[in-house]
Amino acid sequence: MEFYRSHVLVCSGTGCQASGSLPLKDALEQEIANRGLDKEVRVIPTGCFGFCRFGPNVMVYPEGVFYCGIQREDVPEFVEEHLIKGRVLERLLYREPETKASVVDFEDIPFFKKQTRIVLENCGIINPESIEEYIARDGYFALGKVLTMKPEEVVELVKKSGLRGRGGAGFPTGLKWEFTAKAEGSPKYVLCNADEGDPGAFMDRSTIEGDPHRVLEGMTIAGYAVGASRGFVYIRAEYPLAVDRLNGAIKQAREKGLLGKNILGSGFDFDIEVRLGAGAFVCGEETALMNSVMGRRGEPRPRPPFPATSGLWGKPTVINNVETYANVPTIVRKGPEWFAAMGTEKSKGTKVFALAGKINNNGLAEVPMGTTIGEIVFDIGGGLSNPQKKFKAVQTGGPSGGCIPAQYLNTPVDYESLAELGTIMGSGGFIVMDEDTCMVDLAKFFLEFVQSESCGKCAPCRIGTKEMLDILKRISRGEGKEGDIELLLELGETIKQTALCGLGQSAPNPVLSTIKYFREEYETHIRDKKCPASVCAALFDAPCQNTCPAGVDVPIYIDLIRQGRYAEAYEEIMRENPLPVVCGRVCNHPCESKCRRAQLDDPLAIRELKRFAADYAVSLNGKKPKAARKDATGKKVGIVGGGPAGLTAAYYLALQGHSVTIYEALPVLGGMLAVGIPEYRLPKKNLAKDIETITALGVEIKTGVRVGKDISWEDLRSKHDAIFVAIGSHKDQTMGIPGEDLPGVTPGVTLLRDVALGKKVDLTGKKVIVVGGGNVAMDAARTARRLGAESVTVVYRRRKEDMPALLEEVEAAEEEGIIFKTMVNPVAVKGDGRVQAVQCVVMKAGEFDSSGRRRTMPVEGSEFDLPCDVFIPAIGQVTDADGFKESGLEFARNVFKADPKTMATGQEGVFAGGDCVSGPATVIEAIEAGKRAARSIHAFLGGTGDVVPAPKHERKLSAPINEEKTGRVHGKVVPVTTRVRSFTEVEIGFDEEAARREAARCLRCDVKG
Amino acid sequence: MATVTLTIDGRQVSVPAGTSILEAAKTAGIDIPTLCYLKDLNVIGSCRVCVVEVERARTLQASCVTPVANGMVVHTNSPAVRKARKAIVEMILSDHPYECPTCPRNLNCELQSLADRLGIREIRFEGSREPKEPDFTTPALVRDPDKCILCRRCVAVCEKVQGVQAIGPLGRGMDTVIGPAWGETMAESPCVQCGQCILVCPVGALYERDDTDAVWKALHDPKKHVVIQTAPATRVAIGEPFGLPPGSISTGKMVAALRRLGFDKVFDTDFTADLTIMEEGSELLERLEKGGPLPLITSCSPGWIRYMEQFYPELADNVSSCKSPQQMFGALVKTYYAEKMGIDPKDIVSVSLMPCTAKKYECQRPEMSDSGYQDVDYVLTVREAARMIKEAGIDFASLPDEDYDAPLGIGSGAGVIFGATGGVMEAALRTVYEIVTGKTLEKIDFENVRGFEGLKIATVPVGDLEVKVAVAHTLANAKVILDRVKNGEKFHFIEIMTCPGGCIGGGGQPIPTDTEIRLKRIDAIYEADRGLPLRKSHENPVVQELYKTFLGKPLGHKSHELLHTHYKKGSRHGSMIHKEDQGVWFLDRVVANGDGTCDGEDR
Repeated sequence: MEFYRSHVLVCSGTGCQASGSLPLKDALEQEIANRGLDKEVRVIPTGCFGFCRFGPNVMVYPEGVFYCGIQREDVPEFVEEHLIKGRVLERLLYREPETKASVVDFEDIPFFKKQTRIVLENCGIINPESIEEYIARDGYFALGKVLTMKPEEVVELVKKSGLRGRGGAGFPTGLKWEFTAKAEGSPKYVLCNADEGDPGAFMDRSTIEGDPHRVLEGMTIAGYAVGASRGFVYIRAEYPLAVDRLNGAIKQAREKGLLGKNILGSGFDFDIEVRLGAGAFVCGEETALMNSVMGRRGEPRPRPPFPATSGLWGKPTVINNVETYANVPTIVRKGPEWFAAMGTEKSKGTKVFALAGKINNNGLAEVPMGTTIGEIVFDIGGGLSNPQKKFKAVQTGGPSGGCIPAQYLNTPVDYESLAELGTIMGSGGFIVMDEDTCMVDLAKFFLEFVQSESCGKCAPCRIGTKEMLDILKRISRGEGKEGDIELLLELGETIKQTALCGLGQSAPNPVLSTIKYFREEYETHIRDKKCPASVCAALFDAPCQNTCPAGVDVPIYIDLIRQGRYAEAYEEIMRENPLPVVCGRVCNHPCESKCRRAQLDDPLAIRELKRFAADYAVSLNGKKPKAARKDATGKKVGIVGGGPAGLTAAYYLALQGHSVTIYEALPVLGGMLAVGIPEYRLPKKNLAKDIETITALGVEIKTGVRVGKDISWEDLRSKHDAIFVAIGSHKDQTMGIPGEDLPGVTPGVTLLRDVALGKKVDLTGKKVIVVGGGNVAMDAARTARRLGAESVTVVYRRRKEDMPALLEEVEAAEEEGIIFKTMVNPVAVKGDGRVQAVQCVVMKAGEFDSSGRRRTMPVEGSEFDLPCDVFIPAIGQVTDADGFKESGLEFARNVFKADPKTMATGQEGVFAGGDCVSGPATVIEAIEAGKRAARSIHAFLGGTGDVVPAPKHERKLSAPINEEKTGRVHGKVVPVTTRVRSFTEVEIGFDEEAARREAARCLRCDVKG
Repeated sequence: MATVTLTIDGRQVSVPAGTSILEAAKTAGIDIPTLCYLKDLNVIGSCRVCVVEVERARTLQASCVTPVANGMVVHTNSPAVRKARKAIVEMILSDHPYECPTCPRNLNCELQSLADRLGIREIRFEGSREPKEPDFTTPALVRDPDKCILCRRCVAVCEKVQGVQAIGPLGRGMDTVIGPAWGETMAESPCVQCGQCILVCPVGALYERDDTDAVWKALHDPKKHVVIQTAPATRVAIGEPFGLPPGSISTGKMVAALRRLGFDKVFDTDFTADLTIMEEGSELLERLEKGGPLPLITSCSPGWIRYMEQFYPELADNVSSCKSPQQMFGALVKTYYAEKMGIDPKDIVSVSLMPCTAKKYECQRPEMSDSGYQDVDYVLTVREAARMIKEAGIDFASLPDEDYDAPLGIGSGAGVIFGATGGVMEAALRTVYEIVTGKTLEKIDFENVRGFEGLKIATVPVGDLEVKVAVAHTLANAKVILDRVKNGEKFHFIEIMTCPGGCIGGGGQPIPTDTEIRLKRIDAIYEADRGLPLRKSHENPVVQELYKTFLGKPLGHKSHELLHTHYKKGSRHGSMIHKEDQGVWFLDRVVANGDGTCDGEDR
């Protein structure tokens, strides 16, 4: 045997081949030969490491250094650096996405760290085309061992291990073997199901590609245990590499006397043949598979009889899937007790999952049973591929399974727990979805799949799935009807109950489980004709508009900007949003997160464009476009609260000719816009521009009037035909920790309000600590900085990426020198007469909460003190409803109760909306709430309920679509050094040229066809 | 066999182990609805209409395929079962054309009855009902995939009963259709046009090509002399569509009805059945004398002929060269009869009333025109004739019995029993025995060739010779005996009938036709035979007269010209193409011969 000083393992699984591992291997061999190293270094093709996302993967032994994404052009440098100079080539190592630190040893990569590899133990380690390498890793040892045992003892051993079928149904493997062993009839057969067909699943393929002998050994052991002498592997022809490796392995095993007559001199005969399938999903169903092996139409037949008694050619047959057999050699070698020690009470050992979808580490992972879904997604899977998006659900079990939503991330992976959630383990498909996935569309996708893969034999599966698909198609076209969900449920239940085979019985699962967990999303499609994820194309014009809570027709106004028609752009925005100057500055712009341009380069700067159009229009003063006010109706509307919701309602109701009075408790209009958002983000003079547009319609303003104090509820009602309550949430939420009432503790909202109302606050030279991760915390921190604080530290109990604040706010704060201490939580405010320090505790990640974020919990004994002079808790706000005790309005959990669609309360003629109904939310959501209230109030007062002016512009292209990759145009900002000293507006915005250039990037998703 | 006791709808039921829940329920007087199920033949659980609730089972179970078990508790009418059952029938209906009033199976459709029985009053599903091409390529059968509910009974009967496997499921999911392989037409397929698939089709997806319009036209044409012959098996079945119980002998009423429809003469195929015995009996004797080729195999059944040509061309020389009685009749009507009556044969329209669909195909075979014209112009199945009688408003059940017209209406009991499996054999033996031995049979009934058994083998002493005979009905059984022949087993004479029970179970008979009904018709056939004064073919005076005045002798020159034919060897997958302008069917394809050569001479 030749010795080499170094082995370079190159993954040659299908995944890495697709990312170029074969040319890489050739280039490596070539370069090594060119450098005269071919006697010292050997290149070995291996099976799949499972880390497919970062392929091609290369491992160098004996050091065990793991390289990712290495391409042929990297080869000279790699050979020079690593193989000749003995230096690790840093730039090709795996980097932690959070810390950006490089990882040398693959066992330190989190993806591998939480795995336990039994089935995949040799994958990536050995050359799958060499039986010697398998034998060197104790291969065929188990076979040798069982041949010294009685067959019944082998069955007993497998039973004792607790191994269950990895094809998905989880039937105890040992029991199945026992049935076959005891069944009358001869000959008996061993059948391996390698007809892996779930979209996105490839664990069986990789196992065969990476370690084919393991499967053969498992099957041979099964043959011995049940008394069979012939086995078949049924594998789909679309897996050419796996088929090759399997055939090669069979040949080698025969040559070594490990298959064929008189194996290892024991007198036991067993041989294996490969049967190719044409790729029908239904052939994964065991009776259909057997029909196909026998050369018949691959369709299922009723059971009983079960294969164990009447399988291939009517003879007793044991049929298991690849992964099940692949477990057997190790179980025999290490003993059933070792295996049974892993996993949960009823599910032992490990399970291989194929991580796919919107997950960072696409690939294969083998985890002990009982690992939670969340650990797989976030620890092994590295979280979502776009961390800005919200985790929505995981689909396990492919088209036969169901989805697991965020609230069940703590569910351990085992057969029973998954079944309880309405899904199945399946063969190991694990598709991760984020907020951009529409669950109706997802259900439609899987149903389309099963519809076309239904064998057509039984009526419920053939026709029922088609009926369900038709309903889903209708819903996604916007033609959903009341009763559709019920009909889907009934059909689904009938199919589950009556279909002939497993495929049919599980076909409705994706629909049933998405209805179970996301029924609201179905209802939105059916009732509101809206697809919240912006997927069902017939239900919206453009994703940006669809995502905007106020439904602003973004592509139209952007196109007007592109054409230089800025005033008309403003007018267009004003149809749906009467606060464009404000929103152009402070909107959280959910529209941009859905901009399709992001798939090309960057999303459009929609907010900046809005700001440009708004600022342009208001600069025209008297000439700016105005919506026409209708004739006076004589109806009086009282609006309590002059924030964005109240102002919006006032605007639309005044346009309809109603006489509107706003009652505002504060001395200024604007609500949180005026007293919550700091001047440097939203200058008061700009806010005033939007307010002026509204008051110009003749809206009467009463500031400094507090309901329940300055005017009684009764009085208010008697003066008005309708009332809209939109008082916002202005009261700070307390932390409930000792010392919170010490001087020097100023809650965030209070601080911001004081500053906005001109109260003198000087923090010069002070150490400030802000608690919280939301926008108020960022505003408070940046304000404190501007008030002269010596240091500002934000303390947050989760990770930075978990902060609910806008990413750009967090980044701006960081730029301004604000310090972030994450995974830390204050437990007490300390001080003698005044704040001196905050006692904090280090937090560690715990279980997942219902939103899919990790809960944190204190690390015992980790308390430490952070010295400070000012402590600003900014962990949330609540509504102050004290003045509404007489109103009869229902107030619970800090919010008024109102219908979220109509804003109607239990009191006739009284409507409520905005933060005081929804809880603290965004400006644009408040605007939408005000608009909804205006519609309802208008209808209540005898109007049409239609308050938004009709669109003026045709949906067509004004210029060709520009698909050149240019990147986003950035508006100017004031330099950090200047801005931290003053409250002047940080963003300067677009000039005309920049605005038109940016507007020209719009892909006009709204123009279809 | 072990007995299993279970509870069905609260009642204890004991049945043999292995019984299905469905059959067990029947013993308790519970009729679980079914659609795809055909006892012993199609037990595949595909339609799922028969689902029941079995306590502790995860899902509802198809009762037709679920065996009973001790202690099982079954509910056949629980809310869950009723809901699922209705939903399934609704689904099936949603994918079925709403064409009941114009469907050939209107009022005799299992799906329609099921919808009625389950009280389905609305179909909540849109359904797809995508139109698919109907297959009109054969002279006998029409396949309408639009109406097909994919129950696969036709597939089962074609495969298991006939061993032909002309049709099977193609495609997947909603694209699944039942049809010949590769999407070929029925004409291109090995279909023998026996029509057994029609009998088992629960809906109107398979039906006979309707020739009633053409026959009505001839009947209404005063220039035409329209004669009809009625096959032996029709008389014991035609009463059924009019409410008479199966097994009613309706010969006289049938003759009366046909006469009232306007046929100028009503004749009996029994006459040429007798003639067949004379010819075929002589052929047998000749072969026995000359030493072969033996065995001689009967040739009355056109489905069997088509099967032989495709699957056993090497045995073609063993098959009697006699035309079938229908075709002998046709040849004589336009020669002997025309001559005798002084009618120009071109003015004669020769119709036959048959229990058979393959006869429609047979009469259009190009070689079946030895009279100089197409010997038989139209074939009506019993179902079509019944429709005509109904349309004409004739109250069949109260008609008086009338006699056939002379001369071709005279037949013997031997001719009548042609209608049942074993009948041709028995008729031949009656004649051959007496001719060979010169003695009168003591016992005229050959019980050992009667009955419903698939294969009957007997040895009959005829003079010095022990004649070994075999009788097979269904082509699957034919295959068994033919393979035995090919393996060297010696027989002298074999009767093969395509359909189960013989012609009484033919593909043109009233629906339903099942085993129970077939057995009743067989009893009626033998009863009709017993009731006739004349029971041996060679004693038929008209036959004797025919030989004397027209044919000369059996196997004579004239006989050969008019009554005998030849077979295509190995014309597998020959395609029948309808030439509209000529109104005839042609085999239109280069066909592979049994000897390995190809030709297109059938054209």
